[in-house]
Amino acid sequence: MNAEWTGGPDQLLEADEQRKDVARRFRACQIPMIKLWTYYYGLGGDADEVSLDAYLNEALHLPAAQVGLIATAIRELSAGGDE
Amino acid sequence: MTKEDPSREPEGPIPEATELSLQQLVLESQDIRAFLAELAILASTRLSGPGNTIHSGVTVLRHKRPEAIAASDGAARALDELQNGFGQGPCLTALRQGTTLLVPDLAVETRWAPYIRTAAQHGVSSILAIPLDLAGDAEAVLNLYSGRSNGFAGEDIATVETFAIQAASSLRLILRISQLSEARNDLTAAMQSRTVIDMAVGAIMAQNRCGRETAFSILTRASSTRNVKLREVAATVITSISGEDRITAYFDD
Repeated sequence: MNAEWTGGPDQLLEADEQRKDVARRFRACQIPMIKLWTYYYGLGGDADEVSLDAYLNEALHLPAAQVGLIATAIRELSAGGDE
Repeated sequence: MTKEDPSREPEGPIPEATELSLQQLVLESQDIRAFLAELAILASTRLSGPGNTIHSGVTVLRHKRPEAIAASDGAARALDELQNGFGQGPCLTALRQGTTLLVPDLAVETRWAPYIRTAAQHGVSSILAIPLDLAGDAEAVLNLYSGRSNGFAGEDIATVETFAIQAASSLRLILRISQLSEARNDLTAAMQSRTVIDMAVGAIMAQNRCGRETAFSILTRASSTRNVKLREVAATVITSISGEDRITAYFDD
């Protein structure tokens, strides 16, 4: 589930920044990890729970599409009204 | 539980009977809140004697903030909420320390002054707070209020501590059950949602002759710019293509 970082160092920096931001929002919303993973899986996410955990602890990079889904999952869950 | 005649129960609580009724509570409660409400009523019924009505409430720590979640009556709830409003009081101290705390006479108590004064004005003379040990799953405290000073005898305290231990183990069970059933419901919802989204992603791939990643980013972009849930965007895509508006995934539990 690792990204192929063929882009230059600039892109990696950008990914670091984005990851830091997503991780911060995850901590702020206080959603349990398993709940986030289940929701993210429901959105079509492919990463397993351990990878998601590692990503949110800024220890692993994930492909951009997965990052988009994680951000979407956090946004939708913290907006409340999840069924 | 309440359907059973409470007057049938003898004055001195029999431990086995308590344990049995707590098990019954677990089975009959719709949720944790209902269980705690029954628990508060049970505690109050067991401890109240002639001329000494005990009001009972349960406070739970949620996201580090205390919340009065259940009570035997309005008086107990008001007292719990009062204490949480002050942010300090015997029950909150008991909760934080994890030990039983007795205030035998509010008139001579010097700690938690603002709360104690207000509680005394509400006719409370003694308070007993017993934390429920939930093994780290959550934190809760059973709060008991009496209109009498020294309203809790030594044996009452021992009884109610035993009761609290049994109640806590029942509560752990019900927490576990509700966590499991919540996880199951979340998974069911995820399966339904993923089916719709996967289908829409396939449709976008076919229409735009693009890869899966691109199709996903088209969907997520549409979702975030319109502030519509991803799943609803996906459902719209499918409806626009096929006219179907109910996509469900079936599976056995």
